[in-house]
Amino acid sequence: MSAPSLAPYVFKRPWLQRFLTPLANWYGNAAGYRQLGLKADDLLPEENDTVLLALKRLPANEAYDRVFRLRRALQHSMQHNLLPKNEWTKPEDDTPYLSSIIKEIEREMAEREDLEAMVILKRAKNAGH
Amino acid sequence: MFSRTTACRGAQRAARTQAIRPAQRRGLAAPASGSFQYQSGEAKGVKFASRDFAGPTTTLALVSKAGTRYQPLPGLTEALQNFAFRSTDRRSTLRIVRESELLGAELNAYHTRENLVLEAKFLRDDLPYFVELFGEVAASTQYKPHAYTEEVLPLILFAHQRFLANPTERAVQSAHSLAFHRGLGTPTSSASTIPVTKYLSPEYIEEFSKLAYAKPNFAVVANGAEHSELSQWVNEFFDKVPAQATSEFGNLAGTEQTKYYGGEERQAYDGSNAMVIAFPGSSSFTGKFYKPEIAVLGSLLGGQSNIKWSSGFSLLGKAKATPFTQVNTTSAIYSDAGLLYTTITGEAENVAATAKTAVELIKKIAAGEISKEEIVKAKAAAKFKELENGQDIKAGLILTGDGLVNNNQAYQIDEVAKKIDSVTEEAVKSVAKSLLENKATVSAVGDLYVLPYASELGLNV
Repeated sequence: MSAPSLAPYVFKRPWLQRFLTPLANWYGNAAGYRQLGLKADDLLPEENDTVLLALKRLPANEAYDRVFRLRRALQHSMQHNLLPKNEWTKPEDDTPYLSSIIKEIEREMAEREDLEAMVILKRAKNAGH
Repeated sequence: MFSRTTACRGAQRAARTQAIRPAQRRGLAAPASGSFQYQSGEAKGVKFASRDFAGPTTTLALVSKAGTRYQPLPGLTEALQNFAFRSTDRRSTLRIVRESELLGAELNAYHTRENLVLEAKFLRDDLPYFVELFGEVAASTQYKPHAYTEEVLPLILFAHQRFLANPTERAVQSAHSLAFHRGLGTPTSSASTIPVTKYLSPEYIEEFSKLAYAKPNFAVVANGAEHSELSQWVNEFFDKVPAQATSEFGNLAGTEQTKYYGGEERQAYDGSNAMVIAFPGSSSFTGKFYKPEIAVLGSLLGGQSNIKWSSGFSLLGKAKATPFTQVNTTSAIYSDAGLLYTTITGEAENVAATAKTAVELIKKIAAGEISKEEIVKAKAAAKFKELENGQDIKAGLILTGDGLVNNNQAYQIDEVAKKIDSVTEEAVKSVAKSLLENKATVSAVGDLYVLPYASELGLNV
């Protein structure tokens, strides 16, 4: 599931964005997943229906790459070593490939909820029927 | 002295009969009001036709020249049909469904050999909503990969399963492909034992939609809507639809003149038996090869009774092997060709016997050994069937839309009825003779040990 995010708030304020971007980049690199060749979206917990559905909707090549990254990271984690530096995930490659699909699914679900909770009013024209 | 009234009585009576006669002479086809005919028009390049049939509901259809005949790759028509009313740029699938449910409407999409039809039935007041919806479906449906795998593909596979389990349908499809090969002969659903999803992908379907929903390739037809109103809304809501048919596929496939080939095919099938005997038929009235005598011959052969507890007047109805053998003769009409075919289903022995009888009957008709009365009955039945097309909303919508898209004229029912009236006994006889001289199409599905070959029936293939 997508986590609550302050990003939209920050993006609306250029001065804040300028101030926080270096900090965010530092945090991204310090978190350690890039050194194992992972992307941020690989870390999302997948034990729920939304993410499972999103994983099914991934294009075949992206799904394959994801499994490859996870297995490689697991192997290195077990052996307590990091990837050689040239294989680390580059910040520009660290794209939200899964969150966009998750958001779309959440939008669909929210729409369904809204429609379920709808109150129906009869048109004035048909009120007598 | 004569009173004035007595003197004038004769004149009065004469005047009265004069006044009454036109009403009595009015044929079935002449409408009581002007609304029986479809009025056609064009708004910004979109062809439309409507008929203000009295009643509180409207049936609106978008008839597109994108049936299986015209698909560039196998299965595209079926896939596009299943993509109808799915998420568009403005609304999701769910919203479209819920909104039309709230309006009490019915949405439907289906395809025939030549047409892809989107259909909506709703209350008269909701016309603008549904014209807008059709415009949206045509212009801005999102062909998303996950919608294809999650929603469209399972429907195609189900339809394929259903097709494989239906020997009659298999025989009819096989007869069409024997008769017309490519183009019109393309099966309406995946007809091989493996589904044709090999050729399908959301990108291809999207490309095909640019052809199917291009302005020259579709028509909007309404039944029960005011012409001026429909014209106004069509004018407003079809702006985003492509004006020209351009796509990576080039243009629609299968547009060349259909040629009749004929031949024989036999498929082993366990369970039930079906046999189709087919001959070249008549094109639709709006097409170039219209032969009204084919329709008369079709209802003369017949097979199904229109009246309960009776075998009916039709020759096959009376001559079929057992009452449990189902026989039906159809004159399938397409824009530039047709197929007159008799379908026989039942026990293998009975199917074989009835098939032999059917060929004998055609020979009898060709030799003129059929009483005049039978032909009069057949003419009446054929005329009724045609006029019923006018009443039957679904058939009327497809025929009208098809006529508009292919031949630029709406299907006018009463003219067809007139043509059928003018069919002579001689014409039926000569058309039966020509059927036997040409190559026939025979396909048998079922117990091939019992079902006869075309040569055993006395047909040349």
